[in-house]
Amino acid sequence: MAGVRTRAGIRNWLTALSYVTPALILIGGISYFAVGYNVWLSTLTWDGVSEAKQVGLANYRALFADPVFGGALRNVAIFGVLTVTIQLALGLLLALVLSNPMWGRGVYKALVFVPVVLAPAAVATAFRQFLRPDGQVNQLLEGIGVTWLQPAWLADPRIALYALVGVNIFQWTGFSFLLYQSALSQVDTHSLEAAQLDGASTLGTVWHVVIPQLKGTHLTLILAGVIGSLKTFDLVFLLTGGGPGRSTEFLTTYIHKQGIVQFHVGYGATLSVVLLLLALLLTWAQAKLYRLGKDT
Amino acid sequence: MLVKDTRRNRVITQVLATVLVAPFALPLVWILLISFDGQGAVANYSAVMSRTPFLRFLVNSVIISSGVIALVTVCTMLASYALAKLRLPAREAIFMSILVGLMLPAVALIIPLFQFVVRFQLFNTYLSVILPLSAVILPMTILLGRNYIMGVPDELLEAARVDGASSFGILWRVLLPLCGPIISVTVVWSFLNSWNEFLLPLLFLQDPAKQAITQVPTYFTSTYGSDVPKIFAALVLMCLPITAAYLSLQRFFERGLTAGALK
Repeated sequence: MAGVRTRAGIRNWLTALSYVTPALILIGGISYFAVGYNVWLSTLTWDGVSEAKQVGLANYRALFADPVFGGALRNVAIFGVLTVTIQLALGLLLALVLSNPMWGRGVYKALVFVPVVLAPAAVATAFRQFLRPDGQVNQLLEGIGVTWLQPAWLADPRIALYALVGVNIFQWTGFSFLLYQSALSQVDTHSLEAAQLDGASTLGTVWHVVIPQLKGTHLTLILAGVIGSLKTFDLVFLLTGGGPGRSTEFLTTYIHKQGIVQFHVGYGATLSVVLLLLALLLTWAQAKLYRLGKDT
Repeated sequence: MLVKDTRRNRVITQVLATVLVAPFALPLVWILLISFDGQGAVANYSAVMSRTPFLRFLVNSVIISSGVIALVTVCTMLASYALAKLRLPAREAIFMSILVGLMLPAVALIIPLFQFVVRFQLFNTYLSVILPLSAVILPMTILLGRNYIMGVPDELLEAARVDGASSFGILWRVLLPLCGPIISVTVVWSFLNSWNEFLLPLLFLQDPAKQAITQVPTYFTSTYGSDVPKIFAALVLMCLPITAAYLSLQRFFERGLTAGALK
């Protein structure tokens, strides 16, 4: 290898640098620029048109007094915990059941996975119709005799958030199913056979042998699910728009309302900074947990 | 894999699987059935094709997706090669700064981007969507690309260097022919994320002549009211390309998505 201080060495450096430059220009010039600009904007009171006013940390203080912000955090937390838990359980159950020989297995797998590749905008539009008081979901419930449960899924502030959870689970369970399926194919079959020879039941084997071996997959899916929940926008925007009232307001829809629709650029930027910090914090915390899990 | 393959167990798992899959299948069936409703399938689909700018939206999305795929693939291969195999000042620092991009949700960037697009009058330009989308997709594809290229034996590249190949020659003639799997993962990942993108076109492409396919439902509802079967015909048409791509390239999609999550 040539020394790095030679003329050829420096030329090699520059060549290598020129290869990473296009990517760096895009990521630095757009993502990093936007993060920095966000922080700057968050110290302003500005409608995007007239003179901006420097207000220091006033936007951040306003945040803590803003009940909509608190409500949005609560909604995202409920949404995140429910979708992640149910998606993991359902995805694992599907992967376990579909690992057995059966008729039409390929078709079943494809059906569970197709929603993952569809645009959230399409899924949301479809479910807006399905979840109407006279929509397909209620017709189905009535058809199977559940006449006492006919809610206005998206118009009832007590239910709308859970309806969103349901639609999100429909769209993304295929993803956890796929990950569990590929992880299951690597589970040590000897330990399964040993457990079954010892007389463990199927459920016992799953609980004591399979689930612990899938720890890496659980953590990956939890991380992806938490970040995914934090980022969810299309589904909420098109299904409820954050309503009725503020009952399904998310940080993302609130950012859009404040920063784009109502021209509260400074406040919207402040919300964006909080969203960024939350995403970084949660990733960091999970990476930490992941490492703890590996040590023990 | 967990139960003995007896006739009784087979029936039980078959029933259980059907019950579990039904909630995923049913909405898909509903979408198709509703699109045939009202005036009938032929009338619905031809109305969408001829009386709305659906085809225009489709072409716009093809332009945007192609732009993103081309930009992301070129940037990914170049950067991954340099980060995996070349001497580069501050290589680890550059790589880490790219990785941080993995954690930035695009929604958190829209307000500065919006101000930027307003200031420089980039409204209704494809680039206003292509560039930010590429920036958000790149960290993931570079992470995967670098890991893949690190797995290519150094001896192969060294042999080409001894034969007098330039570093770009090595990339072009030695490395790229070996990178089929990772290029296909990059293409699939960029296609999925750009074709399905809703927010950036919503913000930056407001001229109907420039809008993307994900705006079809909104455009349809605001212009043609709630003719539900026709909206659903439009939904089917807009989901068709990506579903067809998935069904014919199932392996690449699944590999791409699991690779994205596991690394």
